Amino acid sequence: MRLSNQSLQQYRRLWWFASRGLAAAALVLLITAILTAPSGLQNLFNGLAVGSVYAIFALGYTLIFSILRIINFTHGAIFTLGAYFTYFLTGASVGFNGLLANQRLPFGLPFPIAMIGGGLLAGLCGILIERVAFRPLRNKGADPLLTLVSSLGVAVAIVNVIQLLVGAEIYSYPRNPFGEMPAALNLGTFGGLSQRPVVIRTIQVIIFAVSMATVVLLTYFVNGTKIGKALRAVAEDATTSSLLGINTNFLISLTFFISGLIGGIAGTLVGLSVNVSGPYFGINFGLKGLAVIVLGGLGDIPGAVVGGLVIGVAEAFVPSEHVAYKEAIAFAVLFLVLLLRPQGLLGRAAVQKV
Amino acid sequence: MEGFLSTYGSAIVQMALAGVLALSLYLPLMAGQLSLASPGFYAVGGYVAALLSTRVFTGFPNGSYPILLIALEMVVAGGVSALFALIIGIPSLRLRGVYLALATIAFVEVLRVFALNQPWLGGAVGIYNIPQPFFSATRVEYLLLALPLLLVSTLFVARLERSRIGRAFVALREDELAASAMGIRPTYYKVLAFTIGAVLAGMTGALNAHILNTWNPRQGTFDLAILILAYVLVGGSRTFLGPVIGGAFLVALPEIILREVADAPGLHPAIATFLRDGRLILFGVLIAVSVFFFPYGLVTPNLFKRRRKTNVPRLEAAKAAPKVSRG
Amino acid sequence: MSDEVVLEVRNLTCRFGGLYAVDNVSFQVRRGEIFGLIGPNGAGKTTVFNLITGMTPPMHGEVFYKGVNITSKRPHEIAMLGIARTFQNIRLFGALTALENVMIARHIHTRSGMIEGVFGLPPAPQEERAIRQRAMELLELVGLADSAEMQARNFSYGDQRRLEIARALALEPELLLLDEPAAGMNQNEKSALSAFIRRVREQFNLTIVLIEHYVPLVMGLCDRIAVLNFGQLIALGAPEKVQNDPAVIEAYLGD
Repeated sequence: MRLSNQSLQQYRRLWWFASRGLAAAALVLLITAILTAPSGLQNLFNGLAVGSVYAIFALGYTLIFSILRIINFTHGAIFTLGAYFTYFLTGASVGFNGLLANQRLPFGLPFPIAMIGGGLLAGLCGILIERVAFRPLRNKGADPLLTLVSSLGVAVAIVNVIQLLVGAEIYSYPRNPFGEMPAALNLGTFGGLSQRPVVIRTIQVIIFAVSMATVVLLTYFVNGTKIGKALRAVAEDATTSSLLGINTNFLISLTFFISGLIGGIAGTLVGLSVNVSGPYFGINFGLKGLAVIVLGGLGDIPGAVVGGLVIGVAEAFVPSEHVAYKEAIAFAVLFLVLLLRPQGLLGRAAVQKV
Repeated sequence: MEGFLSTYGSAIVQMALAGVLALSLYLPLMAGQLSLASPGFYAVGGYVAALLSTRVFTGFPNGSYPILLIALEMVVAGGVSALFALIIGIPSLRLRGVYLALATIAFVEVLRVFALNQPWLGGAVGIYNIPQPFFSATRVEYLLLALPLLLVSTLFVARLERSRIGRAFVALREDELAASAMGIRPTYYKVLAFTIGAVLAGMTGALNAHILNTWNPRQGTFDLAILILAYVLVGGSRTFLGPVIGGAFLVALPEIILREVADAPGLHPAIATFLRDGRLILFGVLIAVSVFFFPYGLVTPNLFKRRRKTNVPRLEAAKAAPKVSRG
Repeated sequence: MSDEVVLEVRNLTCRFGGLYAVDNVSFQVRRGEIFGLIGPNGAGKTTVFNLITGMTPPMHGEVFYKGVNITSKRPHEIAMLGIARTFQNIRLFGALTALENVMIARHIHTRSGMIEGVFGLPPAPQEERAIRQRAMELLELVGLADSAEMQARNFSYGDQRRLEIARALALEPELLLLDEPAAGMNQNEKSALSAFIRRVREQFNLTIVLIEHYVPLVMGLCDRIAVLNFGQLIALGAPEKVQNDPAVIEAYLGD
């Protein structure tokens, strides 16, 4: 059933007000929940901390989608690789399982340098993966859906190579990697706004700060630099931009490098927060990462951060008696948002061409 | 032969079930809809069978559970899955492409977490001691159920493809707007394709609950969804045989083919060890490689068409077509 | 030609962004007529077709088909009422054969459901035979019977246009909307097309609205012509009257 024109327009206007109203109501509800619940502010900060982990994972993911319009399933594996690279660059030794058992590098780098090194190596892996799994299919003009499968195959291979080489055990980084720092910060009661003092782990503050800095840098890079403009031209139409003399392959390699770099550093930071739990460490974020980037609007860089924080905060506010349903929150939110706003929270609606 | 069956019987059963699951994803894809909801319906079907056989149809000593009751459970599971498909499909099938895929994955995840938290579904442990119709340890006998399920589903989809409804699906896949200009109701046929797929996945879950003897929330996951998608795309997404072959092939690859190769006599021990321990690495690489060399999948419709053309010259084939179908 | 009005468009308006694609357009098409819709590029001709067939919702205005308001109906409902169309940018089902393309368009004239189709129960086999027969006849009519088993995407441009017409005719429409049927055809094909459209109108009792750029074709073929410019209707009437209308000359030769 469809409505007549006039009522359609009235309906649209009504919908505009209703959706804004709903959003405002949700915001008011959230603020009241934060201020009235005994641990409301604590929940908010915990949510932002978890959300920034989702966001930092999703940033590299969404960067590739924004340029190539494909979902890169290897991103979780690159995230994992980054965490392992950093671990070995600090000079720590491999565990007791795997082909490389008890091996170690002949040198050890200070942690911050190892982290950057791990990110760079992960970026190089990104370039390699693009050459192996994406470029051949792109040159053939194959269905974008197929890159999903080929990147899945590469992800399976990487995870199992990791397992074969270094085993499936948990790896943890040295303590106080950034020098002497308190493990947690006591933020006080915010002048009585919170009944209890709000405490937050230092590493979570770092992750939050890094994801914010990354989104600012990435947004500037894509929108403010010449290379970024060329990238957007490639995103718009790869064939035309290569005809215009833009080196498409180089730019796509660069995108994969940056995505891998961000992913590798993110993997290290998250590994600092929760330990590197084995070869599936990053893959486990893959699904929620998808929810995050769709929620924010596929390919929208600030959207990935908004999506990550929204899901993190939503999860943190699940009442403790329903805590078992926390894992479903991201997807329940995603389902509802897709039904109401198919283009995501920050995405723009696409006009269908006839 | 007996040795082969006792070694690989259960792998062959899983190959058949993978084929049916692949068909369940292929059906919506036939109507142009990339749905990843199959694991959700598969999970629903498994729980229906697990509940019915452990709570309702009790009193059969182990090893003597009637096969007919399993068939009945499969029918009920198909029905319940269809109901779920209607509830999920009608609102979400207006989404396109990746967005639909994500919405269906959201459904799978919500369902999984729900099952995880329901005591009556056994929580994380799930429902175990699902009664067996056979005594054997290898469970080869399940071939008697799995192969007919595969055969019937394949024939069903094959016939559907050549019918009025199947043509409407394909028209929607090729060009939704043009199809609607031909009087085809997009929503109706999308929901129909989605629902038939759900029925197949639900029935597969019901059967596999008996085969695995236990059913838990780990059965219907995102990983399975992606694996099923790989079955379809590696096998070929343009004809019903593609998913069937793709499912069988990708299940056989790590479980049978690479093991057999590793056991081949005269192989350097290091290579044999790698084939055994690194078989999932090879599995991943082969998926990536096969997509490159067979971008349309292992089985394409042209495989059949070329043969048809060599039999009958094209011109006559076209003119003879109406008469042939009369026979 | 009778006086019965088959299609009436009343104050149709459609805006994309700030731009009026169709601005307050009204006209009537009578039964049996060949009605031309012409105008420079971007004048809103295709948008008028999209508004009539329910593919784009109008901002204002209404569309009546045989006296029934079809403004808020969906494309498939409009097709079922007897309006068929072709597309400016050819929208065939490319991976399917010519025969399958035409058979799909018999959808609304067949009844068999899933069960009948899968198990070969009546009426499916009879219907299948009948639509195959009918589709072959239509391909014969447009001269493509020899390549019935060829994939639609492998046809030449002109043949694809012909195939689209065959597919539209398979709907058994009363009103046929042709969007630039002569585009991409050579001179010989264009003159043949004119005769073909007339013949089809007689044979199927059609009313035809056609969008065309190629002026000689329109002038020779159409009974009446509507001229659009920047979304507005600037002239309406018999070909010779429209041809001499200063506003039309201005639109085509101005700037």
